[in-house]
Amino acid sequence: MSAPKWLALGRNALWILNPFLGIIAYYHQEINFGIYFQWLGKMHPMLLHFPIVLGLGIAGYYVYTRDNNKISPFLSPLLTIHSLMATIVAIFGIFLSKQGIYNHDLIFWHQWGGISIAWMSWGLMTLHEYNNSFNTNFLLRALVGFVFAGMLIFFTHKGAQLTHGSQVLSWPEEEIAKKITVNMDSTATLYERAIGPLLQQKCLSCHGPEKEKGNLLLNSPDHIQKGGKHGSILIGNNNKKAPLLERLFLPLSEEKHMPPEGKLQLTKEELSLLSYWVRSGSHLEVKMNELNQSDSLFLLAQHWMPSVPYSNRQKNIFPDLKAYNSNYCTVSYIFTGSSDIEVSFYQRNFYAHENLKRLSPIQSQIVNLNMQNMPLQEEDIAFIARCSQLQKLNLNFTQLSADQLVPLKKLTKLKSISICGLAYDEKNWPAFFENAPFDEVHLWASSLNPPQIDKIRSAYPRINFTVGDNLKNDLIKITSPIIDQDSSIIASHLDINIKHFLDGTDIRYTTDGTDPDSLSSPEFKQTLRITDHTTLKTKAFKSGWISSDVAQKTFYRSEIHPDTIYFITQPDKQYPGRGTQTLIDYQLGDQNFSNGKWLGYLDENMILVIGFHQSKKLKEARFNTLIDNASYIFPLTAIKVGGSLDGTQFKTLNEIKFPPLQKDDKNIENKSFNCPIPGEDSYKFYRFTLSNLKKLPDWHPGKNTPAWMFIDELFLN
Amino acid sequence: MNELLEHGLNQNRRKFLSKMSLGLGGLGLGSLMVPDMFDGPNEAEIFSKILPQFSPRAKRVIYLFQNGAPSQLDLFDYKPMLQKMHGEDLPASIRNGQRLTGMTSNQTTFPLAGSRFNFSQHGSHGGWFSETIPHIAGIADDLCIVKSMYTEAINHDPALTFFQTGAQVGNRPSLGSWVSYGLGSDNKNLPAFCVLLSKGKGNGQGVYSKLWNNGFLDSIHQGVQFSSGEEPIKYLSDPPFIARSDKRAMLDEIAALNQQSYEKIGDPEIVAKIQQYELSYRMQMAVPEITSLKNEPESVVKMYGPECLVPGTYAANCLLARKLSENGVRFVQLYHQGWDGHGNLPNELIGQCKDVDQPSAALIKDLKQRGLLDETLVIWGGEFGRTNYCQGPLTKDNYGRDHHPRCFTIWMAGGGVKPGVHGETDEFGYNINSLPVHVHDFHATIMHLMGIDHETFTYKHLGRRYRLTDVSGNIINNLIA
Repeated sequence: MSAPKWLALGRNALWILNPFLGIIAYYHQEINFGIYFQWLGKMHPMLLHFPIVLGLGIAGYYVYTRDNNKISPFLSPLLTIHSLMATIVAIFGIFLSKQGIYNHDLIFWHQWGGISIAWMSWGLMTLHEYNNSFNTNFLLRALVGFVFAGMLIFFTHKGAQLTHGSQVLSWPEEEIAKKITVNMDSTATLYERAIGPLLQQKCLSCHGPEKEKGNLLLNSPDHIQKGGKHGSILIGNNNKKAPLLERLFLPLSEEKHMPPEGKLQLTKEELSLLSYWVRSGSHLEVKMNELNQSDSLFLLAQHWMPSVPYSNRQKNIFPDLKAYNSNYCTVSYIFTGSSDIEVSFYQRNFYAHENLKRLSPIQSQIVNLNMQNMPLQEEDIAFIARCSQLQKLNLNFTQLSADQLVPLKKLTKLKSISICGLAYDEKNWPAFFENAPFDEVHLWASSLNPPQIDKIRSAYPRINFTVGDNLKNDLIKITSPIIDQDSSIIASHLDINIKHFLDGTDIRYTTDGTDPDSLSSPEFKQTLRITDHTTLKTKAFKSGWISSDVAQKTFYRSEIHPDTIYFITQPDKQYPGRGTQTLIDYQLGDQNFSNGKWLGYLDENMILVIGFHQSKKLKEARFNTLIDNASYIFPLTAIKVGGSLDGTQFKTLNEIKFPPLQKDDKNIENKSFNCPIPGEDSYKFYRFTLSNLKKLPDWHPGKNTPAWMFIDELFLN
Repeated sequence: MNELLEHGLNQNRRKFLSKMSLGLGGLGLGSLMVPDMFDGPNEAEIFSKILPQFSPRAKRVIYLFQNGAPSQLDLFDYKPMLQKMHGEDLPASIRNGQRLTGMTSNQTTFPLAGSRFNFSQHGSHGGWFSETIPHIAGIADDLCIVKSMYTEAINHDPALTFFQTGAQVGNRPSLGSWVSYGLGSDNKNLPAFCVLLSKGKGNGQGVYSKLWNNGFLDSIHQGVQFSSGEEPIKYLSDPPFIARSDKRAMLDEIAALNQQSYEKIGDPEIVAKIQQYELSYRMQMAVPEITSLKNEPESVVKMYGPECLVPGTYAANCLLARKLSENGVRFVQLYHQGWDGHGNLPNELIGQCKDVDQPSAALIKDLKQRGLLDETLVIWGGEFGRTNYCQGPLTKDNYGRDHHPRCFTIWMAGGGVKPGVHGETDEFGYNINSLPVHVHDFHATIMHLMGIDHETFTYKHLGRRYRLTDVSGNIINNLIA
């Protein structure tokens, strides 16, 4: 009988797939699979159930069917299908194995076990087809059936352990762990806080309501008092150890050891806790707050928590932190592979206690917490005090007081705490620093004075206090105020504000050219309105500071705009500015002569004519200039002004001479020169001649060489 | 690039499959069972999951870049030999034919110039500091001084680019961008990478935005430059009469439109745009709170010096850097210009130090007193050093120094570095005697301090994987505490 076409196709496929499986299984460490293969890998846990069920069915058939003649002709096709599925599932499994870090032993057994199942199934199919003795020997078939079923169960169980944890089939202890209630109140009894829940978790599966082994019940104080079939478990006969402790402390291998081997064992701390408890008289009614707070019994009970079964812990140790992150709270692992978590909160306006409370599921993994500047309350501190693994805590500027921090002393692992800017009261320190777990405190805060600091330092020598060295009150010069008005030119009026970046600064000003002082000069309170040419000088004063340098700014009035301007003498080619526009563009050229806003003249006077369509009476003309003697730029020496009605014949109206620059004068400044124009006559044209210094003075390094003259603006009134 | 071509490149295989999945029954079923099956993580997400790779010593960096190259011989690297041989020619055996810049290669002599300044020892390690930097000398015990840095470039721009991006040519991501890409922002209301500029009175060299460029990384990793005015981030505040709720509504609508065009075109820059709008919306609330000096006690203002109240000064930038870093900004990059002392070096240096000395030291002290120094790495240094011989005329009190990439000094503090003086130069201050630290080594060490393995932290671009340290760089364990 020739096989149907699909069967032959399947069998041929096996010849391709199985070598492929062998190769990728052997070399899987060297191969990187693409994303499509990773996706196929995810099909493995879903598909694998089909070959398991089919395989177990085939194994059962082998064991069940004694009659050699009744072997179904479908067995061979079924084995082909099984082998195909097992091979594909194994291939997918190898894809999957590349995506995670799995236990090496488990994966080794699961991988090669799975492959051996696929190949065994292939082999059986071949046996059916070509080997008659297999078809006629029931015992052989039954043996093969058992082995096949055993392999299926054993090797796939290894896989189940990979995905569901090694205790996949063990007793559901975590269910018990969940039900345990621990009373954390300070008014709770020792029994409610620790002894009861501890017995409940570790003993009640045998000594609880469901079972009552040795007639011993441990689910209530009365039952514990009463003991079991050998009498009290808390008081030993004839000065012997209490039976409870005796049983607990026996080596694990002893038959009488409790809890029996295979059950969840007590930790070292739990053993100490119970033995301290029994030795102190095994009181069942004593309250936690009645115990001596430095006793081992209290401390052990205080820190006891139900232990979480291993498999469960494994799952919870790396929770996905995405859900805990928000725009105002960053939660991350310290580094990849660590279960330690750090948390930072930002922007106090968005803080509420709920934001912190959301973190309770990962509370015990937080080692680094930054809450600086958050508006914290007692409930927040209570929450933080339960972050048992906390090592570093930043509470800078949280507006708490020292007595509110006392609960944090419970954090035994806390190494470093930052409490800068918090309110301190000498009375409250001892409660917080006495016997504190941390050895580094950042205590910088302006409210502490040096004697207080010394006092704390000597009282708690174990703790390293960082206080900053800015406690000494150095006298430093304050910065000048800022005149907040960009424009320098007054058309009708200008409103001027003066400000200072440091709050509470006393700003004084003058407009008469004298330097302001803190007594007689007016204080700047509200916007200043000026209408005329003004040199504003201002100075900042503040107690604890040296008064500032004078800041000054000159404001020029410019009422009249000429209709035309032309130069009789042209400015130097290097500094042409923007031609005649430079003089009336309302842009002052500051102290940088090469910024293109200046007209420069070397060894030459500036002569210019301004014109109006209608005759105009001018009262004054003011030229703004630059003096920079290091750059050979000197002030003008004289201004001559002439008026004309026709533009050719000028009548001299005024001539003013200015004093020469002295060596001790400011060597760089902007200075304006005013030329009043007397008389009542109006003219259509005015001609100005600005005289340049011909020879630099003897004190200047460039003596006897000609000077530069820089002009940038003309104001007419 | 041709937009059509770019569109084609954006439609990569993963996107194709994820878009087709709804149409294909089997895949659709698969995606129902494993909801994030097709949301294959992009490279950034992969790194955000695996970084830091090991316990970081520094969570944040503040890089005080002294642009123009300060003279190590007048600040840290005390060479009495130069003072003794002042004016004598640099021995040829020391120079050994090493290359010069175009500015001094025409000089016929190379007269040694001893520092004009007095030096004294400070701190338990007895490191030397010149009299121009008394405040920095005052924090000597916190400083990890590396006297044996060296670089490959001899001119400012390539040297600066090399320090900032790990390559002398441009277009590579800046150090801060790499950190932003690897570790992301700790405070989601501020950019992960901020840039602050200031200028001293000394001879300056330009800084360009290519230095804080994201290179081939997503543009969200680009450094955000704060302007030096009173409003540090321009156009951040809303125009008057726009309510915050209106703004929210507007952004939502724009985001919806952007999302539509992303679905159509698939350009990842559109997603970056949406994220940037959202970030700036949150920054509107966060930035004024942080840049305000209102909550700074006067003692802090005095510590940084009153200049810190004037926006745009180095002191103000140091104070702002502390505030940004304290608020979770991963990487704050400062540049202070004006150190390029080719001539008149001593006088310019005094001015530069006056700007820089007190605020730099104050920053360290301020971080320390707040308990932040141990998790913040502060770096201070230029792009190369300056020569031991004089450029231009040499007098007793005045000299200039040319560029010198063979050795120079930088210092670091906080963030897991080991305080002390590391490395040594020869008695002429020309060559390195011990512990040479190349720029790549420096980068590798910084990455290591941040919990990143510089060799596996890569980005695939143009068909190959790029690293900050390219194919070199060794972690210098001597510098790590």
